[in-house]
Amino acid sequence: MAEGDREPLARAGTLREALRALLPPTKEELTLQLGERVERSVVRLLREAVELFCGGRGGECLQASEAILDYSWEKLNTGPWRDVHRDWRRVYAFGCLLKAVCLCEEPGDAGAVAAALRVCDMGLLMGAAILGDILTKVAAVLQAHLPSGKRPAPGPAQEQPHEKKARHDRVWIPDVRSERTVPRLRCPSLQHFRKHFLVPGRPVILEGVADQWPCMKKWSLEYIQDVAGCRTVPVEVGSRYTDEEWSQTLMTVNEFISKYIRDEPRDVGYLAQHQLFDQIPELKRDISIPDYCCLGDGDEEEITINAWFGPQGTVSPLHQDPQQNFLVQVTGRKYIRLYSPQESEALYPHDTHLLHNTSQVDVENPDLEKFPKFAEAPFLSCILSPGEILFIPVKYWHYVRALDLSFSVSFWWS
Amino acid sequence: MAEERRGSWFGFGFCGFGQALGSGRGRQVHSPEPLQTPGEGADVCRVSASWSYTAFVTRGGRLELSGSAGCAAGGCRDAWASEALLVVLRAGPGRGAGTELQAWAPGSALSGEPLWAHTVGPEAEGEDAPGGEPQAGALPLLPGGRAYVSPRPPFYSPLAPELRARRLELGAEHALLLDEAGQVFSWGQGRHGQLGHGTLEAELEPRPLEALQGVPMAEVAAGGWHSVCVSETGDIYIWGWNDSGQLALPSRSLAEVGKAAAGEASGLKEDGCDVRTAEGESGGLAPFIAIQPFPALLDLPPGTDAVKASCGSRHTAVVTRTGELYTWGWGKYGQLGHKDTSSLDRPRRVEYFVDKRLQDMYTSKQHGGHRPNPCW
Repeated sequence: MAEGDREPLARAGTLREALRALLPPTKEELTLQLGERVERSVVRLLREAVELFCGGRGGECLQASEAILDYSWEKLNTGPWRDVHRDWRRVYAFGCLLKAVCLCEEPGDAGAVAAALRVCDMGLLMGAAILGDILTKVAAVLQAHLPSGKRPAPGPAQEQPHEKKARHDRVWIPDVRSERTVPRLRCPSLQHFRKHFLVPGRPVILEGVADQWPCMKKWSLEYIQDVAGCRTVPVEVGSRYTDEEWSQTLMTVNEFISKYIRDEPRDVGYLAQHQLFDQIPELKRDISIPDYCCLGDGDEEEITINAWFGPQGTVSPLHQDPQQNFLVQVTGRKYIRLYSPQESEALYPHDTHLLHNTSQVDVENPDLEKFPKFAEAPFLSCILSPGEILFIPVKYWHYVRALDLSFSVSFWWS
Repeated sequence: MAEERRGSWFGFGFCGFGQALGSGRGRQVHSPEPLQTPGEGADVCRVSASWSYTAFVTRGGRLELSGSAGCAAGGCRDAWASEALLVVLRAGPGRGAGTELQAWAPGSALSGEPLWAHTVGPEAEGEDAPGGEPQAGALPLLPGGRAYVSPRPPFYSPLAPELRARRLELGAEHALLLDEAGQVFSWGQGRHGQLGHGTLEAELEPRPLEALQGVPMAEVAAGGWHSVCVSETGDIYIWGWNDSGQLALPSRSLAEVGKAAAGEASGLKEDGCDVRTAEGESGGLAPFIAIQPFPALLDLPPGTDAVKASCGSRHTAVVTRTGELYTWGWGKYGQLGHKDTSSLDRPRRVEYFVDKRLQDMYTSKQHGGHRPNPCW
């Protein structure tokens, strides 16, 4: 690759130029319009940091950026996430921007670029869009400047991970023929879907709708690592989120794949419920928004698209969501069970505020002494395969277990 | 009351706004340095440190601000500094005229009109110590214990009289109250376990900590997302978030940093203490604790009795009966005073004060300075 042949200094120079080109041309434009919520002292520190940056005092700018990040981080951790004021998220993103650019000012090693990319990802994960979504652009430039050595060798690529796993584990595949299955339709019209499924709130599997999306052919482990390997993402560790041992952590996609998919994982790791396609727009080109979403009242921008990527065996306990959901299966199969909201009482939801949308019952191993009504609750089930879309009506209870290495994309709409 | 020789004030931690008087304009101070206080150090009866500025109140009623806000004013009995608001308790003109609670924008230099003002009833005057010395250091609890102020709406909140509040401390999203009988109450958000009732649920009203009933407490302190109290017999109880080791319990993030830095600040057997077995040595791994939702008893070295506790947003400090200072938790800005920027998940004595005796201290909620008052 030509990139790797150039001198490190020259490469660092072009990186610095490429980053500078993304920033607003004047000091005055490198600013945020902030409301009253952000205290004067913070506004002052932001201005000071910009002065230091424009004055070529990168080391001091880094110090000021750290203080900005630490202070705003505390605001992001105060109160429920939905109540965190957008301005604090913007301040945090701004701190990430300055820090990332400062880290790349000096001709450093690849470690500095990787660190700067991590900072950008933190800004994308926890911050809010600033300066025309500048962090996404900065991240793309940084990613392109990571020396090819940083991207991992494909490893024993001939051996598919799920084959390797199959030698060690016997996956329990439920016999869905003995259960009532979710009906399937091939490319129903919008009207038919609305009348028979959306309005009455009935689940259905749509075939022939997503099966030609580019992701279906393109998304291998190698491709994912190529496009997103060095990007930092949130990962859930633990069998299920209702467990005491469950936790969330951050790591790069490469680390996630090597730790939780390839190398005989000790724990279950799940890249779950993450808006990966906002973070990495290149991946968004491989998917589409199902036409049926236009039957909702929101705009296209209001649709939340989440990635669900994990090894065989990930489990989402029985729960309900406040929006309509199209679950698109890209790789691998998932066993899914669905209970109507009318059965809620038989599903024994937790009484805490935090988990009130989650059932206490372990669907495939229920404690019927503790939860007797569960045994009689009617349900639908299916094995969702690549190319298929499952419509999960709003508030419909659903339980999901991955039967293989799996990648799904969900669309939450109203 | 016998005449006591009073001493000076020291500060360390974040001072990116030049708010540590006399210590220069460096962004961080990692080891305690003497502060230049208004008048003699003995004069200062109250220090309230916010992130970007500090408020000093002298016995003569003089208020001075240092840092991002600077000013001086008279007639102040007490002050409480936060980034959004500076709250001041001002003596009314002449006795019997009542005291006024004023909230100012920190940058206003106390000129013009306060953002709001509230007259504190004259019955509160009776709370003064004999000899007419005004009670300082009770804010955000108002004299009389009938209400408290906070930097977020509602700015002024009444407290039920049956609570008989003696002290009140505010965290980022919770409140702690200590009553006359030594009972601790908590309310607010609980997602980090900071309420101590054993769950992550929020509480709207003050709720007594059942786990501590029967153990009279002398002090309470609130960090950003953790809580501390000190019993009359010198024991420390602590609960809430342990992300930065602020509970002196094993913290996963600190262990991961420690692994990366390869064996730095772990072995502190001389001046700190082992609250748990070191991982790896005995073969077993101490379990990491991210959230401690009900009070845990903390061990300082045997024979040490705590008398005062104070918390920053993610660190904790304790002064002992013999005048020693122990700190632990988040250390990135030198706020632990151990001459470095490591975070700690076990208590460590601040060496600087080994030959001095400490009397008092205040911490800033935003990872900022920590200003203990030595006496010798």
